Amino acid sequence: MPTLIIDNQSVTVPEGTNVLEAAQQLGIVVPHFCYHEALGAVGACRLCAMLFIDGPVKGMQMSCMVEAKDGMVVSTEAPEAVAYRGQVIEWLMLNHPHDCPVCDEGGECQLQDMTVASGHSVRRYTGKKRTYLNQDLGPFIHHEMNRCIQCYRCVRTYQDYCGGTDYGVLGSNQRLYFGRFQDGPLESPFAGNLIDLCPTGVLTNKPYRFTSRFWDLQEAPSVCPHCSLGCATIPGARFRELQRVRSGNNPEINGCFICDRGRFGYDYVNHSDRPRTPLLHGEEIPWNEALETLLQRLTKLIECHGSDSIALLGSGRASLEANYLLQRLSEQLGSAAPVYGSHAGRDRAARAATTLPTELSASLADVRNSDLILLTGADPLAEGPMLALAIRQAVRNGGRVMICDPRPVELPCSTEYLACQPQELLQLLSALSLGETLPTKLQPLVEALQLAQRPVLIGGGDLLGAEGTTALLAAAQKLNSEDRSCLAMVLLPEANSFGAALLAADGPDFEQLLADMASGRIKALVCLEADPLTDCPDRQQLLQGLEQLDFLAVFDHLPSLIAAKADLLLPTTALAEGAGTLINNEGRMQAFAPVFSPGQPLRITSQGNHPPRSFSTTTPGALPCQAWALLAKLCDLPVDLAKIRRELATQEPRLAGLPDLLAEGSGQRIQSADKPLSQPHALITEQVDALQLLACETLYGSEVLSAHSSPLDPVRPQPYLLLHELDADRLGIAAGDLVRLSAGEIQLTLPAQLSDRMAAGVVIVPHLRRTELESFYPGQPSQPCRVEKVSAL
Amino acid sequence: MNLWRDIKGTFQPFWVTLRYLFKRPVTISYPEQKRTPPPRYRARMILTRDPEGEERCVACHLCSAACPVDCISMQAAEREDGRRQAAWFRINFARCIYCGLCAEACPTMAIQMSPEYELGNRDPLKLVWEKEDLLVDHGGKDPNYHFYRHSGIGVAAPRGGNDDELPPVNIKTNLP
Repeated sequence: MPTLIIDNQSVTVPEGTNVLEAAQQLGIVVPHFCYHEALGAVGACRLCAMLFIDGPVKGMQMSCMVEAKDGMVVSTEAPEAVAYRGQVIEWLMLNHPHDCPVCDEGGECQLQDMTVASGHSVRRYTGKKRTYLNQDLGPFIHHEMNRCIQCYRCVRTYQDYCGGTDYGVLGSNQRLYFGRFQDGPLESPFAGNLIDLCPTGVLTNKPYRFTSRFWDLQEAPSVCPHCSLGCATIPGARFRELQRVRSGNNPEINGCFICDRGRFGYDYVNHSDRPRTPLLHGEEIPWNEALETLLQRLTKLIECHGSDSIALLGSGRASLEANYLLQRLSEQLGSAAPVYGSHAGRDRAARAATTLPTELSASLADVRNSDLILLTGADPLAEGPMLALAIRQAVRNGGRVMICDPRPVELPCSTEYLACQPQELLQLLSALSLGETLPTKLQPLVEALQLAQRPVLIGGGDLLGAEGTTALLAAAQKLNSEDRSCLAMVLLPEANSFGAALLAADGPDFEQLLADMASGRIKALVCLEADPLTDCPDRQQLLQGLEQLDFLAVFDHLPSLIAAKADLLLPTTALAEGAGTLINNEGRMQAFAPVFSPGQPLRITSQGNHPPRSFSTTTPGALPCQAWALLAKLCDLPVDLAKIRRELATQEPRLAGLPDLLAEGSGQRIQSADKPLSQPHALITEQVDALQLLACETLYGSEVLSAHSSPLDPVRPQPYLLLHELDADRLGIAAGDLVRLSAGEIQLTLPAQLSDRMAAGVVIVPHLRRTELESFYPGQPSQPCRVEKVSAL
Repeated sequence: MNLWRDIKGTFQPFWVTLRYLFKRPVTISYPEQKRTPPPRYRARMILTRDPEGEERCVACHLCSAACPVDCISMQAAEREDGRRQAAWFRINFARCIYCGLCAEACPTMAIQMSPEYELGNRDPLKLVWEKEDLLVDHGGKDPNYHFYRHSGIGVAAPRGGNDDELPPVNIKTNLP
């Protein structure tokens, strides 16, 4: 722990810290461009110069390149250093187009800040400025190359950190150019990070283009709701509209980066069809009447048909507090415990994942530090994109990645791929957990596991199911020893799937609810931000069950199918409009703060024109309430989030840290369960000859919230079917052919894609919402299917 | 001595009043009579146009950021040719204190203060002016200034076509 003196202040920093970071710890602002906490320092911009007065190095040095050492005496304010930095910024500004008024970076531009900090104000050089032609970089990023100061941050972000290959530095000499070889959309699903990382306005947010200034935005620390990883985000809103999302910084999870699904999936909040008024049979009613009606109808049904005639359905989309209060409501009504999740298979897998002891649970930071990552049935880019980025960092640090999956799992790094049938995956995991020998095909895996010091086993709840998830956790426990830690991580479908599963404990699941609905026993269903009509795989049975209901109440903020059918619709706020807590897939509780108050966006109410020229005391579309607040009123509890959190923490000892949680922090792990992990049994599965149909998640288009976001429209994939080349040869199918897929009663015609990097005997279709592939659900056991060629390309 | 001073203090003002009784008055009977302010007088703001007759305002939000009473609001939008313009621009003159900080902040010389000072009104809503009300058809105090001719992002002139710019570089050449 070296101690050094910077500007007459003494500071002690950990070994390996550079002098620039040490100065930042003291709160000293030193201009810099090329240094970034996630990318490190390269000493290219020459802007962080300091005068080293005493110690191992002396003279003018770039502080980002000098490691802090004992006895250093450094000055940032020495006249030589100030003059040096002033000259550097002056030549960085030589070719800048001075177009800050029309630049979206204006106000949050590091170049502006550093220019002011270095004291440069007038361009003395009278020569002509260098100019460039721009490129079209796709729907997310706007390119304005004239603003570039050649700091190389974009290349280091895109190529080094994110593993993209289609963007880089071109040209030589005075003609350095940062772009693609040709115009075209950036291929990396992490390209949006260029917006945050570019210190000037070269790469700016295209959907947000010319929308607002940074200082006008309402911002608050929040959590990304688009997968179960729970990355820290900072959404920004103005004029009642969520306008952009930028990355927050949670060192335990996402670092400074987020994926494009999280960055551009926000627009569901502004959806024009979003429910905004309480509706009883399609008629608008005031809030107090709506809540009274709900309670009256439920109590009346209980009186007539008994307490098991009503069912409550929570979800992994709703906050932990709302889901808990649903439980309180069921206790108050005397009905059965709520069901959490409209997909029984996914719910069971999530419940299995909650049994993992905290000390065995891997965070993304653990994944980044791992030396062997075993992916079994997990497709990070589809099910939790930031995990793919964390895995890439592990590979950059010398780690190995082994993938056992029926799908062609692609990652932005080098991997070792072993094609496995879904049932082989389960056998592999149960063999690992029981210490049995693995088939010869998987021998490289055994050797790698023996050598690894910090292995992490990662599974996908969808493909593994509850049985596989239990086996994965048991395998991690088996491989974990005193000499080395073996951690596990399970990818879950929704942002709060873990929290919902934790509350569900041993409660009923959706299959039982479906059976009860079909038998006509259930007369009323209350859905809390859950849409069984889009998430339940057994659509037929569900529709029959819904027919038999007397009363359907829906709390939701999405224009969902179930909301359209509801007798009583109670509009709730979206995540950015309220406060609450989510528990991510590793069991980390994270609080989020309200960013803005709900309301119909001004863009929609005034149709792009100026706001109305009349005054009104009400805000259009401002009626949605936070789900937990509505439920607290229904339960006759005070509408106080802190009290609810305290109560929840006393009810559920695993959530002990909940009352102290802050939205600003990096979250807090839940406590381990006191019961030991359940042991998996040896699995015997029979070999199937027919082609098996497997539905899986995709990066864009599968997740429910981002499916309602218009900035993602241009990148949503079209329906397709993926076959192994060997199967395609056997069936006489070539890539691009139209094929007919018959599975159960469903028949579809789809274009075929071929791959040799997948398990043979498996047919893969993506789960794409609002397409004909909507009816194929991930998280289901694979089903036999037939594929026939219809016509050639 | 104090007594003398008090007597002087009592009568001197009367003397001053009496003297001015026979001079031409400095005040005028507004609003029957009106005084023409000097052309550079700084009363209510206007939105001027560039030499090509296009709106100078690029909706950069600097005026609304500088405004001490928050009376300016706007929304930027992109025109088909890439020019940034205000989709709407609103100033509430009921709140405006005519401090001129908006004109000082304006980087494109769009906002200038005009000599028009008569905004008194019985309906507060008539004091909320939109872009159409504020736009004038001249360039104001500096008619030749053209923002896009100085900041090179290829809107008014083609890329690299401004006087202080070199043509776009050829990034595929290897020559030194």
